[in-house]
Amino acid sequence: MSFALRRLAHSLFVLWAVVTILFLMFRLMPGNPLAAYINEQLSEDDQRLIMAQFGLNRPLYEQYVIYVWNLAQGNLGMSFFRREPVWDVLKSALPNTLILTITGLVIAYVFGILAGAWLATKRGTITEALLVPTALATRAAPEFWIGMILLTVFAFTFGWFPSGGANSAGAAYTSEWDRVLSRDYALHLVLPALTLALYLQGLPLLLMRSTMLEILHDEFITMARIKGLSPWRITIHHAARNALLPVVTAFALGLGATLGGNVVVETVFSWPGLGRLLVSAVAQSDYPLAQGAFFLISLVLIVLNLAVDLVYGWLDPRVSHG
Amino acid sequence: MPNSIPRQVSRRHALTIMGAATLLSSTALTRPAIAQAAGDPVRKIVLITDTQGAAPQAYQAGQLIAQAWKQLGLDVEARPMARQAQTDLVWFNRDKWDTTMWRMVGRPERSDPDEMTFNLFHSSTAPRGFNFVGYNSTEYDKVAEQQRQTVDPAARQKLIKQAQEIISRDAPYAFLVHPNTLQAFNQTVFEPASITVQKGVGIRNFWTFIGATPKGAQKTMIINSGTALQAIHPLYIAGAPDSWVNELIWDRLVRIGPDGLPRPWAAESFKFTDEKTVDVVIRGDMTFHDGKPVTIDDVIFSFEAPLTTDKSPMFKPFVTDIDRIEKTGERAMRIHLKRVNAAFATTALGRVFIVPKHVWEPHLKSVEGKPDTLEAIRDPMNVGSGPFRQVRARLNEEVVIERHAAHWAAPKVERVVLRVIPNAEAVVGMVRSGEINLLSEYGGDPDVLEKLSKDNPAIKLTQVTDVGIEFMAFNNRRPPFDDPAFRSALSAAIDRNVLIQAAWNGYAVESVSHVSPAIDFWHSTEVKAPATGIAVARSLLDKAGYKVEAGRLRYPAGKKETLQPPG
Repeated sequence: MSFALRRLAHSLFVLWAVVTILFLMFRLMPGNPLAAYINEQLSEDDQRLIMAQFGLNRPLYEQYVIYVWNLAQGNLGMSFFRREPVWDVLKSALPNTLILTITGLVIAYVFGILAGAWLATKRGTITEALLVPTALATRAAPEFWIGMILLTVFAFTFGWFPSGGANSAGAAYTSEWDRVLSRDYALHLVLPALTLALYLQGLPLLLMRSTMLEILHDEFITMARIKGLSPWRITIHHAARNALLPVVTAFALGLGATLGGNVVVETVFSWPGLGRLLVSAVAQSDYPLAQGAFFLISLVLIVLNLAVDLVYGWLDPRVSHG
Repeated sequence: MPNSIPRQVSRRHALTIMGAATLLSSTALTRPAIAQAAGDPVRKIVLITDTQGAAPQAYQAGQLIAQAWKQLGLDVEARPMARQAQTDLVWFNRDKWDTTMWRMVGRPERSDPDEMTFNLFHSSTAPRGFNFVGYNSTEYDKVAEQQRQTVDPAARQKLIKQAQEIISRDAPYAFLVHPNTLQAFNQTVFEPASITVQKGVGIRNFWTFIGATPKGAQKTMIINSGTALQAIHPLYIAGAPDSWVNELIWDRLVRIGPDGLPRPWAAESFKFTDEKTVDVVIRGDMTFHDGKPVTIDDVIFSFEAPLTTDKSPMFKPFVTDIDRIEKTGERAMRIHLKRVNAAFATTALGRVFIVPKHVWEPHLKSVEGKPDTLEAIRDPMNVGSGPFRQVRARLNEEVVIERHAAHWAAPKVERVVLRVIPNAEAVVGMVRSGEINLLSEYGGDPDVLEKLSKDNPAIKLTQVTDVGIEFMAFNNRRPPFDDPAFRSALSAAIDRNVLIQAAWNGYAVESVSHVSPAIDFWHSTEVKAPATGIAVARSLLDKAGYKVEAGRLRYPAGKKETLQPPG
């Protein structure tokens, strides 16, 4: 219990540190939001009025206190440029990002785990010599490159999938659920999710393979072989189950890290997600929106980190005492 | 070292964060002059460019210009900067930079030359406005003021041309190019004759949206934007695609015609009864999207909200010349101006949107006495009286508007869908597959589009010269750029044809003045492109007293560098 509390306190401290760094980072960056307002007839008074509306006329420490206080109450502020509550803006992009990220990660991890486990049994064969470098090359290839190849082949050449967006032009739905569960949405999701999955599969595949290779030399595996169990049963039921733990950790952290890091995939496939929103907010010095987006991503990452720590502590008590 | 502080730290907060900044900046002010005597080498020139990712053409042009200037014996550093940082330095730190790539983008309202003529170069806008280069000429100021006060087009045309001649002589900028706007549409979907090409703007214009006639069953126009929309709001425009949609949902008294000149729209007529009085009569057959009629009270309210309150700051600049408005009839009003403004029809009547008073007056009352403005208030229905009404808007993804059948100039297409597509290559694929049927903007390789059009006869390509300009701005406040001869020489060193071919892939025309040839009525053909070449530039410098010794260009006698160079 004290381990859980300690981890919780640690996570809260990290969250506070992230919030503070975010606040300072955007204000130390060159440029200010007025740059987007430059207008031949914008007087000094008008400029002052705009800065006052943004709250940027107050001393820095005051802005900080207001920001942290609002955040503690769940208020992320108003976007300077959208003139809407930050949460409303993020909310519009979040489902698309979550769906893309989770789909890509699940495909990558299911494939990575199975392929990694299988490859571990092919040690020293030609199959390993071919597939490991292929997995590494796919992992190392830039996302935009993979994305453009998929687009060119499957959208532009064969016309099997749409070229971009999350829905066909003008498609109407009765609800958000209706929209994301539609066939049209799924068709739009295939290529970006596949690109993301190809990019992400390397880590679980190689992680699974190397852990499996260690485990396959353990005594209980030798015991299973002596018992006469089939190689498939040994691989899946005995070795793979034990090799899964680090891969599960990587999945949880990958989810947090990928959430805001889909800018390239989102741009290539014109996918309306959080990453693109974040980039434009930073470019415009829209502090509340950029802070809100980063905060959300950090929050997910910290919560998942905490969850993994707690689950680890539960699964393996040595962790909490170590 | 001290002078690098203001460049890297946000101007407003630097002092708050560290009090030492004050000390540092005062140290900078007392810094000794660099060039004290004839023969001192010209200090290092910092040429600011856009980053390659943000504006590849301008970046490439900046690199080529830096190379040319180095051949004159100058030590030049081409320094790419993110747009925000560039704007912060150039706009808000006016004495701390040397020379920068800059652009004035083409907009329909810039079809009137007033903005380019007055705002860019009049000395009154030097401290805070668009004259960020600090050009100061009493002769020019007089002409710029006169053109604004001259209502007769022929007389004003003479003044506008005179202004171009003065600027050409004084070279506060090195004008580079007017880019060509490349667009396309599917001529199997729309009657080609119904697609209007607007001067300086291209085919993505109001007249195309209302005039495009579908040939067959496809009655939806699907267009693209590279950037997401910020808001759909009649009193707040934060981005280019926002304005494309806004001008279709909300009507204006005047619209800029395909010829670039203002023409009555929601106003049945407008007439200057004297230089400072405008009589406006509105049409009697207009209705808002909620079915209520558009009245003169709605129109007066639309102008008075930004005029008499501080609740619509973005639209306030458009009405600053108005003194007061009086209702003179059921459909008539009289606008009294504070000062004469020949461009009033374009810059005010053609900018303010007509909003329903019954929707916005309660909102205005709700923000009275509060720091909030109308910009943060949303009308979920976005009720306007324009030829299209909003169906739905997902600003990161797409906006759908449909024809307002009761409009007196109802569009031929049923719907317009604006899709946000940031990937230029994907846009080409979408045009090919029909996912987009009017390519409204394109930032990719022009040759790819040319090829698409050649391979696919359904795709009709259009190209117009932009009203906008790409130029190299010299900081006229700082030596050596305070010397017109030096500026002219640097301008002469730039081979525009090389820039057009190498940076703009041939899709631009040479610029010689601040008034684009796209608006031919105002453009001066008398102003010719100056002779260019390194030899010409060297000769100009030599004549002005600048000599090259030991490979470095040196100041003439009496020339002093008193402002600190950029870090």
